[in-house]
Amino acid sequence: MPNSIAKTWRRVTRINMNMSNGSPSFCRPLGSVAAFVALLAITMGSSLPAFASLGGNAGSIQADTARMGASVNVSNTDNCEVHQLQSPAGTVVNEYISSSGTVFAVSWHGPFLPDMQQILGSYFQQYSAALSSQSRQYGHRPLNIRQSGLVVQTGGHMRAHWGRVYVPSLVPEGVSAEQLQ
Amino acid sequence: MQKYSISVLLAGALLIAGCGGSATAKSTSGGGGGGGTTSGTSNTMAIAVNGGPTVGQAGGGIYPNAAFASATICAPGSTSSCVTVSGLLLDTGSTGLRVLQSALSSLNLPSVDASNSSAAYDCVSFVDGSYLWGPVQGADVTLGAETATNLPIQVISTSNDAPSSCSNGSTINANSLATLGANGILGVGVEQTDCFYEGASACDPAFGLASPPYPAYYTCSGTSCSPAFIATGNQVANPVVLFPKDNNGVIVELPAVSGSAASVSGSLVFGIGTESNNQLPSGASIFTLTCDDFGTTFDGQKYDITNASNCSGSGSFIDSGSNGLYFPDASNIPTCPKDTSVGDLSSFYCPSSTENLSATMTAADGTTKNVSFSVQNAESLFTGSTDSDAALGGLAGTNPSGVGFDWGLPFFYGVNLYSAIDGQAMPSGAPAAPWWAY
Repeated sequence: MPNSIAKTWRRVTRINMNMSNGSPSFCRPLGSVAAFVALLAITMGSSLPAFASLGGNAGSIQADTARMGASVNVSNTDNCEVHQLQSPAGTVVNEYISSSGTVFAVSWHGPFLPDMQQILGSYFQQYSAALSSQSRQYGHRPLNIRQSGLVVQTGGHMRAHWGRVYVPSLVPEGVSAEQLQ
Repeated sequence: MQKYSISVLLAGALLIAGCGGSATAKSTSGGGGGGGTTSGTSNTMAIAVNGGPTVGQAGGGIYPNAAFASATICAPGSTSSCVTVSGLLLDTGSTGLRVLQSALSSLNLPSVDASNSSAAYDCVSFVDGSYLWGPVQGADVTLGAETATNLPIQVISTSNDAPSSCSNGSTINANSLATLGANGILGVGVEQTDCFYEGASACDPAFGLASPPYPAYYTCSGTSCSPAFIATGNQVANPVVLFPKDNNGVIVELPAVSGSAASVSGSLVFGIGTESNNQLPSGASIFTLTCDDFGTTFDGQKYDITNASNCSGSGSFIDSGSNGLYFPDASNIPTCPKDTSVGDLSSFYCPSSTENLSATMTAADGTTKNVSFSVQNAESLFTGSTDSDAALGGLAGTNPSGVGFDWGLPFFYGVNLYSAIDGQAMPSGAPAAPWWAY
């Protein structure tokens, strides 16, 4: 298994089309569409790619994608875009980007927590404050912290972390942040 | 939270905890706080859901739905330089023994090295945002009458000296009895060490990563600590794996709880199919795992890993270290108020009357089993006539959508839960581990 793992974060990018079949419109995680992932999988060179972070602009990622010659289909009906990065150790980070180019949510799953400073950017302090705000009841359990400016949700167990952080005011209309995996 | 201390009652409960057979008292020196016993038959040790070591302490309270155990920790090769630590949280959802530095008293243990020949430090992140940081040290650890020799354990550092990539935005350093609610964590999960996942440890240089994964292991130069590789044999390990026998898994045995109970006592049995008292019953359902998870169908939704290649999806798991049943609010059970006399309970369920529910568990190989469970009003459980009870069979809360079904300690009441460790030999006829069975 180790031999098949790239030595650096792997980026997979997909533009989601707005769903017009009556089902709720939201960004789907890439993992559920294996063929799409294979088509667009890009193995990076030796350097760690720049992340966009929560609340930030996706321009740098799009520039990276273009430079690497990724084939991406863009639709006029897009309302949400997912950038997925997978670390060699197996942690997956999804960045959800609105049509205005703002990262409105990040989620992760995998054996190691992502670098929160890196993926939360200017929201890092607010995230930290949200964790501290919980009333401390004994017992390890999932978090579901809902503040007006930030929602922090986590779950899982050792080496199987799951989490999602989003900014309610940045979530595009028609997107259910609760559905972002 | 509790009206009165139940520690006296519990001391009695622990001493008579069902071990059966001839109990042999171990001779140890030092002390790690009252309560607990390490006596038992050769492969059995007492556990108790008793509120834990904070009961009766100023500012402390009852740790609900947590099973506590004791361990005798000795300097390697010594039978006199030992401390018995009680109040260790039994956790089938993590791997490795972690003990508060303060609970080890003056016991001196040797450091364990990372691959760069410097003393290793371990960082553990829990899903509730808390973290544990401290050096890896070697010890002979006795659970019941089984001893893991030269076991790498984590000594939870008393000081706030974790690197920022370990705390990772969290300010909840659970390095004291008051913040951890326990003297340590006894992780006897389905993996070999705390860095193992899907049969391999990414922390071992042999795994082939270009740089060490983090937050996990570190080495330090002065106050500056950086991620480090560490050989599998030096990683904080599942103590059961290092037993000379009965080392392929554990059985957690707790009695049924009708509603709630002040405390309950049970057993942790070592080994599966290795002794007369740990045979897998012929009628047991075995739940093999994908990405250490399996599937649960509840209220029309299936919570399972959907892509084994990157472990995405909403898996389900059985975890004695979760103190309630946590699942997405698929059936619109009301949650509790934010403002209660015991704080914000909005992530717990508060049905107006007890909800009797059922779900179906599905293993990786298609095996299914129906499970019935109850959800009671958490605010009533915490503030009503049961507010001094440690065993709350109906405690449940929300999991965000995207996370699956967390079968915490209430699931264990009335069940003998077999937990088989990845990479260990299984009895003939049983599938390869990891799996859970009951």
